[in-house]
Amino acid sequence: MRQHSVLDRYLGPLNGPHTMGRGVAFWVGFVVVVAVLASFPEYMRRYDIINLSNFLISGFLALSLSLIWGYCGVLSLGQAAFHGIGGYAYGIVALNLFNAHGNTDIAFFAGIVVPVVFAAIIGGVMFFARLRGVYIAILMLVVSLLIGTFMRQTADPSYTIGAAYLGGMNGLRPASVDDPLLPSLIFGLGETVIELDGRRPAFFYFVLGLLVAVYLGLRCLVNSSYGYWLVGCREDPNRTETFGYDVRLIQLGVFCIAAAIAGLSGVLYTAWGTYIHPDGFGVAPNILVVIWVAVGGRKDLGAAIAGAIVLEWVSLRLAAEGEIAFLVLGAILVGVMLIAPNGLGITIGDYIRRGHDRAIAWVRAR
Amino acid sequence: MSALAEKSVPTGVIVETRSLSKIFGGVRAVDGLDLSIQEGEIHCIIGPNGAGKSTLFKLLMGIERPTAGAIVLDDHDITHMAPHLRARRGLAIKFQSMQVYQDLTVYQNLFIPLRRHHRPREIPDRCANLLTQLQLTDTEERIVGDLSHGQQQWLAIGMSMAVDPKVLLLDEPTAGMSPEETRQTAAIVRQLNEAGVTIAVIEHDMAFVRDLDTRTTVLHYGKVFAQGAFADVERDDDVHRIYLGKI
Repeated sequence: MRQHSVLDRYLGPLNGPHTMGRGVAFWVGFVVVVAVLASFPEYMRRYDIINLSNFLISGFLALSLSLIWGYCGVLSLGQAAFHGIGGYAYGIVALNLFNAHGNTDIAFFAGIVVPVVFAAIIGGVMFFARLRGVYIAILMLVVSLLIGTFMRQTADPSYTIGAAYLGGMNGLRPASVDDPLLPSLIFGLGETVIELDGRRPAFFYFVLGLLVAVYLGLRCLVNSSYGYWLVGCREDPNRTETFGYDVRLIQLGVFCIAAAIAGLSGVLYTAWGTYIHPDGFGVAPNILVVIWVAVGGRKDLGAAIAGAIVLEWVSLRLAAEGEIAFLVLGAILVGVMLIAPNGLGITIGDYIRRGHDRAIAWVRAR
Repeated sequence: MSALAEKSVPTGVIVETRSLSKIFGGVRAVDGLDLSIQEGEIHCIIGPNGAGKSTLFKLLMGIERPTAGAIVLDDHDITHMAPHLRARRGLAIKFQSMQVYQDLTVYQNLFIPLRRHHRPREIPDRCANLLTQLQLTDTEERIVGDLSHGQQQWLAIGMSMAVDPKVLLLDEPTAGMSPEETRQTAAIVRQLNEAGVTIAVIEHDMAFVRDLDTRTTVLHYGKVFAQGAFADVERDDDVHRIYLGKI
């Protein structure tokens, strides 16, 4: 019968067949990486911490695409649309309620719920119409581009929602000088008010903690029975349906979860920079997410996050060179697809696992 | 239809098609088919290529929608029912093509269908029983793509058995198997049937059908051409002319 390690027993669904790393070495490495990241504000420049916060926010978007594409086999070329919808929803609600409430609690949740509602509507149509493969990928890209096109032509002052002016190409802003500016995250817990300014270490710690929590939560999800259903849908949806599973509902469910995570990234991005604009709905932001996840490894959550952070760092380094950043990222994608089609993170992980197994076998043989 | 004597005594119809038709473009793959499968029997379906056998199974499972006619399962009209709802009513299928999850382990392949009907803690024991029944013990942690063709076919049958079906549709379960593996497959099918599962089998391997020696339907141009005990079907000159004579 299947062997379970002591760690499997204690870590429960955190350890499972659908995520890389389940041994002591992995978890020690994981704690070390999180600890090193958490120590960055102690010795890094403020500018670097602000950028690193943004990289971590990209990690949420990578997680959302890994979940729906890597685990459920549904490639969405419009995942950035949920990021944008979440960002706009947060901004619009925050601009309208901040004066009355003094916090962004409702805006934070609105930025997650609105993308989910949107995903439920469009996903319901797509999955119950039994659209699959390239049709979903293209449809989602078109939806994202359409939203972007609409948002770009909202420069007319009539495009206001209460205290929020959509602002066309210039992005979301207050409707009048009397309205509050787009706030960063401000949580109100009873009498306590916690302000997380996107330029401060506290915001970085919040994003890091949230990313770790979402990553661990998704590990539990994909290693549960639900994770098996997702993998079944990815490997062969027709076959999975013949076992009695409503594949359409499974796909719709994970599509909504992925939209919630992408929406969360949009909320954090808007709060980080206190701005949101329609460029986020374009082709480049949508394709970038696919590149992060494909290069890191779509079938593993951690590899997808690593891909996003590393490639965002590469993009930033090359930003001063103009459009060359996108060319370099494209070249990296082509190179990785040729030498490691499952993604660099997963390929490296496989090598480490095989080396570890060989070392154990060698020690036992001695 | 040839006049052939029925050998088996019906104990009640569990699956029935009524004037079932499926037209692809101008081709009538299934043409007004009236077929009934008795509860508890093994029913073999044979016929030349293009006779509509696999299309019939896809219609029964809901993978294809019929152009006309009706399908009844256990006295319920399931003609317009989605495949997953038919599965929940007790219908299972092993397709002609190998439908196993190639990149997953044997255990994971069985976990997915087993989890639909069993609690997680029951699955290891159920999985072990299935693997013993399928002669796949000690393969639990192997990646399915690394198994032999015959083992993958058995696993595909096992995955269909894992949902505890009332009726199991097997489309060419012995395709690509050695004679020994074919004999073992016949034993597995009989064992399943003895456990109470009604089985419909599409097969081209006449040794396998002869081994099962059950009620057999010959399809030709989407219609029932002949029906009866296999020994009778095998002796029928018309069947020889359209199909058996070729082997």
